[in-house]
Amino acid sequence: MKNYLLGGPLVWLVTIAITTLLLVASTKALWLVVPLLIAILMYYVLVPVVRRLALAGLGRETAAAVVSGVALLAVVAILWPLLPWLAAQSVAGQETLSRYLDGGRVLADRTLATLEAQFAFLARLDFHAEMTRRLTELGDTVMQQKVREALVAAAVSLPSLLLAPFFAFFLLREGQVFTKLLTSGIPNAFFERAVYMFDRVDATARNYFAGLLKLTAIDTVVLGGGLWIVGVPNPFALGLAAALMEWVPVVGSIAGCILAVLVAATDHPNDPWIVYAVLAVFAVNRMLDNFIFIPLTVGRSIRMHPLPTVLMVFIGGAVAGIPGLILALPLAGVVSAIVGTVAGIVQDPRLRARHAYAKALLHKRVNADLQL
Amino acid sequence: MFGFLKPKSEHPRIVQLREIGLFALLSPRELRVVDGLLHERTYLAGEVIFDEGEEGQALYVILRGRVLICRQGQPEAGHIAEIPAGAMFGELALLDGIPRTAQARALEDCVLAALSRSDFNRLLDTHAATASRIALQLARDLGQKLVAPHTAARTRPL
Repeated sequence: MKNYLLGGPLVWLVTIAITTLLLVASTKALWLVVPLLIAILMYYVLVPVVRRLALAGLGRETAAAVVSGVALLAVVAILWPLLPWLAAQSVAGQETLSRYLDGGRVLADRTLATLEAQFAFLARLDFHAEMTRRLTELGDTVMQQKVREALVAAAVSLPSLLLAPFFAFFLLREGQVFTKLLTSGIPNAFFERAVYMFDRVDATARNYFAGLLKLTAIDTVVLGGGLWIVGVPNPFALGLAAALMEWVPVVGSIAGCILAVLVAATDHPNDPWIVYAVLAVFAVNRMLDNFIFIPLTVGRSIRMHPLPTVLMVFIGGAVAGIPGLILALPLAGVVSAIVGTVAGIVQDPRLRARHAYAKALLHKRVNADLQL
Repeated sequence: MFGFLKPKSEHPRIVQLREIGLFALLSPRELRVVDGLLHERTYLAGEVIFDEGEEGQALYVILRGRVLICRQGQPEAGHIAEIPAGAMFGELALLDGIPRTAQARALEDCVLAALSRSDFNRLLDTHAATASRIALQLARDLGQKLVAPHTAARTRPL
């Protein structure tokens, strides 16, 4: 089947330029982007249920209201019993963080001492003392400052998360109408291309977010199972946390691994093999992700060449930080579908001629009685 | 009082869709679902709906007007068929994105309802029974076109 989407360096460049601009804009309205992202995830999870209810006889609006209401109640029912535990954790959070950071420092200290004992040139360079000093600086200043900033940012943006269920409700209720409204404004000559483009945009977003959820579930099971075998406490909670962190490309998997290593090093200070086993679990999971799980899940959604894809991740990180890293791929996939379709129309003289002909027919019709 | 016991009168749009052969087997609920997927398009007399050789993305049902099926760029010499209101054309696009086998032009001002392949595929996923009823009607229509004697060229699927 012929593909309507044009590729090539110019399309890549335009895609990268538009995606970068959108990412920069997103940093100015992060309070809006995060709930919107959660709403899109909720939409793709809930829309099949809305469709089933619509077939069962409910109106689209009623079905959307029922499904959104039930989903909200389910979230409240799950979170309600957890609230006391979460409150206790937030009070003890600073103490817990310090304990795990200290555990990490002890692990680093022992590793450096072992390295210095093994390699004489490291001892001559006073490697252990120098690295310990730098790690202490990092722990005392940068880490605490960054963690504090991240916690403050999270606390500020927390109320805006309440917008997510409302966005999801309106997407469920009006999404189809909105797509039809957009399509109705497109000239007849480009109608079928537009239909194809909307389908590609929807498929890209749907496959990406559904793939991301599947990948999170798979990684939770693999990492949780691996950490359970190794003997790390709370293995599946740690697995879930690390799997969620992997939503951030490149940085996320490293951060997840560091988190598990800190927990293992703190809870088993006299058993370095557990730390090595945790590293092995993450390394195996990374390889399984790269070669099996990612190609089977999110890998199917982004129809872009690997080169601009990788480039986009780095640009996303540079211009918009962690949100940029998370948003870069799905946004680039959607923008590439739109740019590819528009490029296909621009480079098709027949389509443009048909549009001009339709305009001429209309012009002739409306001016039929206005000849001088 | 007791007005809720009276059968609800059907929306004129649903009545209109039921009269179309492709949707003849669908219940009012299914028709409402399908109606949500249809894109209504208006074409002026003489306007090209699709070209021969173009990859098809949608099937069209004529709600009002007539459509001419002809050889590419030969509306008179290459005349193949005229499709009346209530009939459909471009049905092969629903099954696969194979190139259109002829050109379609509006013979008079037309209102068409387009059902895209992607929407039909989604219908297959979420409302398999509804989609299979549409597919059955589509297969019947294609079968009739293929077995019609002496008119192979006039009735072949698009």
